[in-house]
Amino acid sequence: MTTEKTAEKKPEYLKVEIARPRSYKWSSGKYLGKLYKEALEKKKLVTNRCPKCKQLMWPPMAVCGRCNVATGEDWVEMSDTGTVVQYTYLVFPLWDPHYGDRLANPYPTATIKLDNGVFLVHFLEEKDPEKLKKVKRVQAVWKEEGRGRGLADILCFRTIEE
Amino acid sequence: MGNRVAIVGIGQTYHKSARKDVNQQEMVGEAVRAALADAQMKAKDVEAVFTSNMETFEGLFLPDHLMADEIAAYMKPGLKVATGGTSGASVVEEGFHFVASGLFDTALVIGFEKQDTGDTTAAITAAVTPVWGKGVATGAIGEFAKQALTYMERSGAKEEHAAMVRLKADKGACRNPYAHLKLGLKSIKEVLDSGYLVWPLRLLDFCPQSCGACALILASESRAKKITKKPVWIADVVTVHQEPFRAGSFGDPTGTEEYSQDIAAERLYKRNGITNPMKDICMAEIYEPSNWEEMSHYEHYHFCEKGEGWKLVEKGITEMEGAFPVNPSGGVIATNPIGGTPTIRVAEAALQVRGDAGEHQVTRDVHTAVATALGGPNWTVMTLLRRSL
Repeated sequence: MTTEKTAEKKPEYLKVEIARPRSYKWSSGKYLGKLYKEALEKKKLVTNRCPKCKQLMWPPMAVCGRCNVATGEDWVEMSDTGTVVQYTYLVFPLWDPHYGDRLANPYPTATIKLDNGVFLVHFLEEKDPEKLKKVKRVQAVWKEEGRGRGLADILCFRTIEE
Repeated sequence: MGNRVAIVGIGQTYHKSARKDVNQQEMVGEAVRAALADAQMKAKDVEAVFTSNMETFEGLFLPDHLMADEIAAYMKPGLKVATGGTSGASVVEEGFHFVASGLFDTALVIGFEKQDTGDTTAAITAAVTPVWGKGVATGAIGEFAKQALTYMERSGAKEEHAAMVRLKADKGACRNPYAHLKLGLKSIKEVLDSGYLVWPLRLLDFCPQSCGACALILASESRAKKITKKPVWIADVVTVHQEPFRAGSFGDPTGTEEYSQDIAAERLYKRNGITNPMKDICMAEIYEPSNWEEMSHYEHYHFCEKGEGWKLVEKGITEMEGAFPVNPSGGVIATNPIGGTPTIRVAEAALQVRGDAGEHQVTRDVHTAVATALGGPNWTVMTLLRRSL
């Protein structure tokens, strides 16, 4: 194999910068829309259940792929308490290009198993790396304002003592 | 099975964080010309052209439309594939299927990514479905951080073992003229001193964002024998795609989920009469976005028992001079042009089979090699190469 060393020829080039905001509209669909609506209006997490295997769909959806049946409208309200199964925290700062939020250290996120068995990934309120090791039981803290972003209507998960 | 298919030409670009001297199509053209030169073929000898690129990562729409001239595709048939991290292996599989079917005698397959055009981590973070935590996901790094933690807890591997994997990769990369990061690392301490990206993953534990391309020319048996004295035969390709782990994309902290690597390996080995992978296969080029993932993959590709991947590292078995070398090229942790990364795995494994890897040619003779690819979430492609069929 040979490598062409174009870089060594030092060609002239122009740098073109395009700085323009891009709007973004996302259709939730019929079933996911219900999750968004319940979170927005009632601060509740809901999902639907497969009529055949009775497993909770997550996220709510129209078809259970395992059983190959239409799921329908068997809606279940889910617990907003759960157990942390894995966690990590951001050290290197990132930004969220969709919402424009800056994600900065320590920004702890966790995989949480809700009490009805569904897994979700969300933030933890606890930010001390030493205390994070001991976080087990958590409960959702809902946003009071600016809801309408589905699971992002939950601000974070707070440690609870039981 | 269809007709036999061989790799008859291999070409790569060098890799860097930014290639401001060229645009995307000019960069990809470099790899194509290198592959044509390697096969001593002309653009007109290629019947069909297949490309692999994750265009959402660069934010550039339909890149393949722009580059038909540069990649020998002008007025020819072809397709582009995007299957996430596995794209560059899926494109090899695609070319393999078309040539094996007898529709084409020669096919050019190309994987590429020019990551100075866009911000991949930002793209992954932004493009993830809102349900799975838009804004919560910290790109691929966060998922591999959780994978590392899960691996540590389940296997008992220490950070020192991960550092040893990083040193091994850097040793290979420093000998590989096409590798991106050539750091000249000398000690475990150097790796352990690098800062955290997403705890517990350190800067040196994770792959870079590279600009680069890799091209392979595939040919049917009759054509292959006319083109080269050293064809590398694609014995088999296995793809296993599945839904994400419910409890995590790459590592499963609950210990209850099936890994697509296990299923792919079982299928590939059974179909090809491989009973002892460490003996029947001579080396591997695996897709390891992090050093922790490499140790986990040793286990899920059945190179060792579960929970013992770090022991292979400790014993030096997967070093370039070892009994079963893994990633003598430096691997993904040194070079990562996403759409091209798995194509490079196949290319590097093929170079080892040919004996043409140069400074990073492994000590033992390689008659059989395996190249793997990993995509999010938990997708696997395995490609088995042989010197003779």
